[in-house]
Amino acid sequence: MNAVDLEARIPNNVGLKDDKKLLRALEQWQPRFLDWWREMGPSDFREDQIYLRTAVGVGQGGWANFDYVKMPDYRWGIFLAEPEPEKKIHFGDKLGDPVWDAVPGEHRNVLRRIIVTQADTEPASVEQQRLLGHTAPSLYDLRNVFQVNVEEGRHLWAMVYLLHKYFGADGRDEAEELLRRRSGHADNPRILQAFNKPTPDWLSFFCFTSFTDRDGKYQLAALAESGFYPLARSTQFMLTEEAHHLSVGENGVGRVVERTAQLMKEGTDPRTVGAIPLDIIQKYVYEWSSASYDLFGGEDSSNAATYFGAGLKGRYREGDGLYRDPKALEQAYTTQVAEGTALRTLEIPLRRAMNALLLEAYYADCKRIVDRWNRTLKRYDVAAEVKLPSLRFNRQQGIHAGKWYDPEGNPIAQAEFEKRRTTWFPSAEDYATVKSCMKKVYEPGKIANWIAPPAQGINNNPFEWEYVKFH
Amino acid sequence: MSDARPRLVYVCEGGDCSEKGSVELHNDLKEMLKTADPDGKLKLRKYPCFGGCEHGINLALFPDKVFLSKLKKEDLPRVCDFVCGKSPVPAGHTGIVAKDVEQIVWDLLDTGF
Repeated sequence: MNAVDLEARIPNNVGLKDDKKLLRALEQWQPRFLDWWREMGPSDFREDQIYLRTAVGVGQGGWANFDYVKMPDYRWGIFLAEPEPEKKIHFGDKLGDPVWDAVPGEHRNVLRRIIVTQADTEPASVEQQRLLGHTAPSLYDLRNVFQVNVEEGRHLWAMVYLLHKYFGADGRDEAEELLRRRSGHADNPRILQAFNKPTPDWLSFFCFTSFTDRDGKYQLAALAESGFYPLARSTQFMLTEEAHHLSVGENGVGRVVERTAQLMKEGTDPRTVGAIPLDIIQKYVYEWSSASYDLFGGEDSSNAATYFGAGLKGRYREGDGLYRDPKALEQAYTTQVAEGTALRTLEIPLRRAMNALLLEAYYADCKRIVDRWNRTLKRYDVAAEVKLPSLRFNRQQGIHAGKWYDPEGNPIAQAEFEKRRTTWFPSAEDYATVKSCMKKVYEPGKIANWIAPPAQGINNNPFEWEYVKFH
Repeated sequence: MSDARPRLVYVCEGGDCSEKGSVELHNDLKEMLKTADPDGKLKLRKYPCFGGCEHGINLALFPDKVFLSKLKKEDLPRVCDFVCGKSPVPAGHTGIVAKDVEQIVWDLLDTGF
């Protein structure tokens, strides 16, 4: 394990100073990253002091160093989790072989594609969220969106390091492309569709961090099992930071639900006081969760089987020894798919169902957060509940694409789906209602009327703390 | 195919738990287990988030399915003895998170495959 070098132009624990060629390549990429950040990162706020967490190492306490920082001065570093000695591949056909510290030639293209796809999501989300600071409901939330943004920037650095170090000229070209694509751009969009969706308001942001970022958690967790050890160690550390992003989303939607529930209990219509009614929250949940289901890819996937067999991408927490058959050759995955207006059982050989397994783990996690929001509603004696749609609902990818289901997963006719579309997804009017609530609140301790304050602040500071100091 | 699954100790490192010191608690427990579990029968792992955020720091023992909440650094000796089978479940730390939160954790870990 290399020592942490914090004084370097690029803080790192990967021994950059001893690899002059790589260091030069990354130092050439750095100004282009900063140009991209200035153009596509958070709009304005460059001179303001933000109370941010910066990773300065992977050891105890090192990943969470809190201080005021101007965002362009944030120290984006490259950190890999500590290696385990004599680490072996623990799944697939290479079970028991030593992990790879270099890219096996036969997996070069596949690994590059996996890394580029993951990497592309990182700048994409920063671009999607670049205007949110102007309508932040509190300083606490303003600081949180910037924290998410700078850490997604660091995750881009983590992936770009892998591309530069292990994939030669091809990797360097891919790293340049990561700064050229743009979220939502007609001609040069980001790779995955959910990362081209506009994030026009804070409810969208909280839904994004609840559902779309949560997909990222599961993809990273699967890559953290990889036999390509630099990728595994890189994603293991990214997961530590990602947990905070998910709590921003989960707590964010939860606080919107809580404020709405408070008003409903008082007998006040949220619309009349600049807050968000429950039916619109529900539509946002349907929209963002179903779009995020598609990020897992097809439930029956030969690519997924190849990745697993080759030891490139494992199951959720594969390394913990939770699975009886680490080769996944002896079982099948059973699910149901529409046939006309009925459901029929579909059996998929387990290896080909790796995306479906990961999606199921993700769904259980989403169910947990929605249940938590519903406990809040119950606490305020609100009988209505937020519902998480079925994994079959509104799918554009996989075995349910081109089929039509209601949110409970019952097959329906396409005409019925289209007829009910506006009852399930936000309309232009709904977006306008939410937009009308989005007014900035920059005074410490104050908060917008559409969201409840958090139960606790950041780093043991109170909600009233001055999380952003304007210049 | 083998069913000899290990005993796992998961410490939550989600946003709320880590702000309450779960990373330090994990590292301290790791040190204690070097002495208390010299053969490495237990596997200590970090877990991204259990969802019992209001009641952190949370820790789960699997396949025993024991979920401990509201842990602090000073609870560690009792927790260490418990996970090593040397003492009963520490009083005042179980049954705190909602049952469905616990159940989803077990469902995720008990994969069926």
